[in-house]
Amino acid sequence: MKRRFVTAVLASVAIATVLSAAGPARAQEIQLTGPLKGAPAVRELRLYRQGRFEIAPAISFTLLDEYRRTILVGARLNYNIRDWIAIGVWGAAGAISTTTDLTDRIDSLPAPRDPLTAVNVNHSTDPSGGFRPFANQAAKISYVVAPQLTFIPFRGKLAIFNKIFVDTDLYLAGGVAFVGIKERGDCGGQGQIACSNPNSFDLTSKSKIAPTFGVGLTFYPSSFVSFGVEYRGLPFSWNRAGFDSRGSGPNGNFPDNQVNSTDESFKFNQLVTVDLGFSFPTTPKISE
Amino acid sequence: MKQARRWLLLAAALTLLAQPAYAQKKKPKGGTKGAAPAPEAAPPAPAGAAPVPVDADADQPAGAPPPPAGADTGAAAGTGVGDTGAAGGEAVGGMDVCQITPDAPQCQAAKEFNLANEAKKPVHAEIYAVQQQYVIKSGRIELMPYFAFTMNDQFVSHNAPGIALNYYITQVLAVGLNGNWYQGLNADSDFNFQNRRSARIAAPLNEYQFSGDLNFTYVPMYGKFAGFGDFIFHYDAFLEGGVGVIRTRPIPVIDPDNRKFADWNTLVNFDVGIGLRIFFNRWLAAVVEVRDIMYFEKIEALTISPRPLDQASWYDKDTHFTNDVQLQVGLSLFLPTSFDYRLPK
Repeated sequence: MKRRFVTAVLASVAIATVLSAAGPARAQEIQLTGPLKGAPAVRELRLYRQGRFEIAPAISFTLLDEYRRTILVGARLNYNIRDWIAIGVWGAAGAISTTTDLTDRIDSLPAPRDPLTAVNVNHSTDPSGGFRPFANQAAKISYVVAPQLTFIPFRGKLAIFNKIFVDTDLYLAGGVAFVGIKERGDCGGQGQIACSNPNSFDLTSKSKIAPTFGVGLTFYPSSFVSFGVEYRGLPFSWNRAGFDSRGSGPNGNFPDNQVNSTDESFKFNQLVTVDLGFSFPTTPKISE
Repeated sequence: MKQARRWLLLAAALTLLAQPAYAQKKKPKGGTKGAAPAPEAAPPAPAGAAPVPVDADADQPAGAPPPPAGADTGAAAGTGVGDTGAAGGEAVGGMDVCQITPDAPQCQAAKEFNLANEAKKPVHAEIYAVQQQYVIKSGRIELMPYFAFTMNDQFVSHNAPGIALNYYITQVLAVGLNGNWYQGLNADSDFNFQNRRSARIAAPLNEYQFSGDLNFTYVPMYGKFAGFGDFIFHYDAFLEGGVGVIRTRPIPVIDPDNRKFADWNTLVNFDVGIGLRIFFNRWLAAVVEVRDIMYFEKIEALTISPRPLDQASWYDKDTHFTNDVQLQVGLSLFLPTSFDYRLPK
């Protein structure tokens, strides 16, 4: 009886020891003592953002375009509430628009163009006798205005060749974009001109609302001036070529001789932006 | 009683070790030229003799007689290494501190380091902005599994798993191999079909089987970030370039009824890339890289020959310079997983 009691007590103690030892080992808090207790990760940090306005002229380049590339010129305006969060707006206008190789190839089609494509490609001729360019019906981005929040979780420095040191931060931005586009107008529907009509290939202005988000790096070579690079996504649906691609058939996946919103397809539009920023007041605060 | 003697002997030996060799003060001019080198082992002190206390950071220990010419400190014990003295711990009223608190850092350091060897290491007087990089890469192997996403081909995506193996010859330069496997993951975009149907224009398409390259990697940039103002993590940025082969073949779109491209073409490629490595610890990191694989592509002929089954007519007579830009996301494992710094911190 006594032996069983001792065994039971020892087993209980062993289990309790294992449990009490195993618990905190995977979740214990590091108990810092001494002068570093409670100290911030970085002392006397230059707060390049906190309490400062920033205006950053920017140039954006679209990526992975099918028919037309756009270079947008604009600016980002931010008020940095804290060093880790900012509120602002990014706006840009399409300044330069160039065609892709595919667009050039469509334009170089030998005459006569295939009559089956009359709804999709302009078969009328211009005064010089050539076909009106397909490039004229390829959609393009006119402007983007995007109110956004910017979150700056990471702040550090970068050493280049062990000689050049620059303060850097990494940010994430997100907001709602109001996008102005120029796209082929609706045609072929009731009360609309036929899609083979040369005038139906004219571009009309439309607007889209889309989410936008980006990730970027900002470099601070001085207290006043910064520069950065950003990748941005701007997904929305649009008819980049002005083709009649959908609208009939069992799943609506066949042409219906009409160009309208059913012919739009989703595109994860992507841009790379470079900017040069100026912050006010010109001198940043310094943390404790 | 015998035990006490042994402890006293040990304490005396410890006090004679040249412990502060790695934290020495700058020598005054001509101060140590005549100093004796450190002996391999300290001679045992006579039983009952009090150790001679020398403060590692002091030019001259309190209470000690002035050192003879040619030696800064420690000469009283006759075992100094240059100007470093022969301290094993500070003295408290004539008693070695290591006797009282053997766990004191200076006592532990004296046990852990062979101070004679430490003293022989060359000391670079230059002060670096970052004295010790978080990860020592020199002499280590990096194993990098990743997945590559196509960035610039709107017609066919060439996503691929890949793996890279690099050996770091120095802290900033590595040589290695990498390979991507594309077959089965090439995806023809729906946009191609829409374009062919609507405009009667076909863009020639190609698919990849695999690519492999011999690369050199250069790491010119490194730094650290404070995350959320709370924790610090380290990163570096690297440039890489190399040469290799890529195997491709056309996807028949101009004359798919007659053309069947069964064989893969082996083409020479050059690749350049820039990447960012974020370290989770000293052997594991996340890697993001943008890489451009450049080569001359053999594409399907845009015209159909009068003899459509003649395979010689299937290919365009010209090759086309092609950039396959990829975003690679993966992990970086450094082996061996541990390393030693050349100098103590």
